[in-house]
Amino acid sequence: MPQRSAITVSAAVSLTDALTAIADDYGGHGYGSVRFNFGASNVLARQIVDGAPVDVFISADAAQMDVVAKAGLVKDGSRVPLLRNQLAVVVPSDRPRTLKGIRDLADPSFKRIALGDPAAVPAGVYAKQYLEAQGLWKTIEPRVVPAGSVRLALAAVETGAADAAIVYRSDARVALKATVAWVVAAGDGPRIVYPGAIVKTSAAPAEAQRFLDFLRGGSAARLFERFGFTPIQ
Amino acid sequence: MNAWQITGFTLACAVAATVAIVPPGVVLAWLLARRRFRGRALIETLVTMPLVMPPVATGLLLLVLFSRRGFVGRVLERAGIDVVFTWKAVVLAMAIMGLPLLVRTARAGFEQVNTRYEDVAATLGARPLRIFLTISLPLAWPSVLAAAVLAFARALGEFGATVVVAGNIPGVTRTLAVAIYGYTETGQDRQAMVLIAVAAVVSFAALWCSNHLVERRPA
Amino acid sequence: MIALDVDLEQGSFSLSARIELDSRAAALFGPSGAGKTTILDSIAGLRTPRRGSIAVDGRVLFSSSARINLPPHQRRVGYVPQDVALFPHMNVRRNLEYGTHPGSSPALERVVGMLEIDRLVDRQVTELSGGERQRVALGRALMSGPSLLLLDEPLAAVDVPLRRRILPYLQRVRDEMRIPIVYVSHDREEVEALADTVIRLDLGRIVDIEHVAR
Repeated sequence: MPQRSAITVSAAVSLTDALTAIADDYGGHGYGSVRFNFGASNVLARQIVDGAPVDVFISADAAQMDVVAKAGLVKDGSRVPLLRNQLAVVVPSDRPRTLKGIRDLADPSFKRIALGDPAAVPAGVYAKQYLEAQGLWKTIEPRVVPAGSVRLALAAVETGAADAAIVYRSDARVALKATVAWVVAAGDGPRIVYPGAIVKTSAAPAEAQRFLDFLRGGSAARLFERFGFTPIQ
Repeated sequence: MNAWQITGFTLACAVAATVAIVPPGVVLAWLLARRRFRGRALIETLVTMPLVMPPVATGLLLLVLFSRRGFVGRVLERAGIDVVFTWKAVVLAMAIMGLPLLVRTARAGFEQVNTRYEDVAATLGARPLRIFLTISLPLAWPSVLAAAVLAFARALGEFGATVVVAGNIPGVTRTLAVAIYGYTETGQDRQAMVLIAVAAVVSFAALWCSNHLVERRPA
Repeated sequence: MIALDVDLEQGSFSLSARIELDSRAAALFGPSGAGKTTILDSIAGLRTPRRGSIAVDGRVLFSSSARINLPPHQRRVGYVPQDVALFPHMNVRRNLEYGTHPGSSPALERVVGMLEIDRLVDRQVTELSGGERQRVALGRALMSGPSLLLLDEPLAAVDVPLRRRILPYLQRVRDEMRIPIVYVSHDREEVEALADTVIRLDLGRIVDIEHVAR
C-alpha cells in the first residue's frame, strides 16, 4: 500500500477557518500537507473509534477525546491541550444589552435562552456546568432551548427566536446579527480546553507529531488568536 | 474548491451512484412486485431501512462495515482499495440512501403493469428474464426512469450518511450538502446561500422531471 | 386428449373438476363465477391447483402427487384471455411473432392468411378494431405452435353481427390447424356453433357433459 503523503486531521468544525489558515502556513514552510475532516466532535470521535483512517484528532471538548482514549486509540503521551476558550452570552444585535454578571440571565426578560444541546454539544455541556456551578441552572433550565449545534443556537438569537444564547466566545464572531453581552472570565468559568492528540493507528505518526507541535508554536498561536481562540502555550 | 467544482463533483458522484444502483435495483423491484420467494419480507425490510433510519445511523453502519477493520473493508484493503474518507464513500452513501426510493418507485411502476401481459407472454413460451426485458420493463419505463431520477435527486442532497462515512474533507469528499453545512457552521452565510441556490435549482429540476415521468403511461 | 383432475380453493370459492376430453373443441359453459376461467388458468399454468393432475396428450403438465408443476412457458398451451391483452408497445407483426418457436411454429403467411389479417401486420395494436384484435390474438397464440388452444370468451367482447364474422375463423382453426380448443362461453349459440363437447359448470363443479353431434 503506498504511503499517504498528506496526514488526515479530524477537527471540530468551529476550527475550520483557523486551521485552514494554519495548514496553509505549514505547507508554505514545506513541512508537509494536511487534509482536514471537519465535523461535529462527537461524529469525529465515532469515526475514529469505528476505524476511520485519521492521524490527528482535535476535539472541541475533553469528553469526546476521552471517548477516543477509552477505546484505546490515543497514542500514548500525545494528548496535549491546544486551545482555551471562554463562554460568552450573546443577544440579538437589534436589542443590545450588557449584563453586569451571569446572574442577570435569571431576569425574566430572558424568556428563551439557547444553548448547544447539553447532552451532546461541547459548548452546551460547558454552559450547563457553569450555570450549575453558579447555582443558576434550576432557575434557567425551564427557559433553555437546546440546539443541535452552536450555529443553530446563534441562529435562534439572530432570528429573535431566543433572547440570548450561551456559546463559546470564538463562536460569537461568526454571528452577524448577534452581539456579545457578557464574557465569562477565564478564571470564573469551567476550564474549556480543546485537546489534540495523535491517533494510535496513524500510518504517519512522525508527520502527525510534527503538525501537532506546529499547532503549539508561535505562528500558529497568532493565527488562532486572529480567529478568536486562545492558544495554550 | 469553488462552487463549480463542488457542484461538478457532487453531480458526478450522484450520477455514479445512480448508475450503480439502477440495474440491481430495478431487477429487485420487479422481483418484489411479481415473485414470491423465500426471504422476500426480509429483503423488503432491508431495502427500506435506509429510508426510515436516521441517516447518521446508516452512515455509522457503513463506516463500521467499510473501515479497515470492518467486514467488507478488510477484504477491500487487501485489494488495495480504500473506501472510507474517499470519493468512493460518497458514492456508497449516495447509493445506499437512494436505493430504497429507487426500488419503491420502480416497484409501484411494475405493479401497475397489467399482469395479463406477463401471463400471456409466459404462455407464449417466454422465460421470466425475457418477460422482464420485453414486457415488464418497456411497459413500466416511465416509472423506472422516474425512480432513477428520484434516486439521483436524493443522492444530490445526501448529507447525514455521507458526512460520517466520507467525512468533510475539502477537495476530496466535500459535496454540495456537506459544504453548505460547513459554511453555515462557520458563519459564511453568503457562500452557503450560493450553494443552497445551486442545490435547490438542481433538485427542483430533478424532481420535476421525475413527477412528469410518473404521470406518463405508455398505452 | 386432455386429462384433468383438479381441486382448487381461493377465498370462498372452491373448484373440483374431473374430466377426460377427446374433442376438437370443448366448451366450458356456465354462469359467471362457475370456475370456467379458473380451469383455463390451471391448464395454462397461471394458477396452481391444491391437488390433482393435468395432462395433455399424455404429457403431464401438473401432478401434485409426482410434484410436477411445469411453468407456463414450458406447457405449449396457447392462451387468449378475455381482454385479449395484445402487447400495446408492439405492432401486430411483433405480437404475432412473439411466441414463435423455430421448430414447431406454423408459417406466418398461413396463419395470417387463414385469419385474414395480412393487411394488418404492420399496424399498431391501438389502431385495430375489436374483431381485428381478437383475430390477431388468436394468430399470436397459434404462432407459438401450441398443442392446445385456450380461449376465454372469444366472442364476448364483440357485438352480435361481428360474432357471425369471427365464428368462421374459429371454425377454421378447429378444422384446418387440428389443434384442440378449449374455450369458455356463456352464450349458448356460440357454444353450439363451435363445440363438439359442452361441459356445463356451476359453483365450481361439473354439472353436465354433453356431446354434440357434428
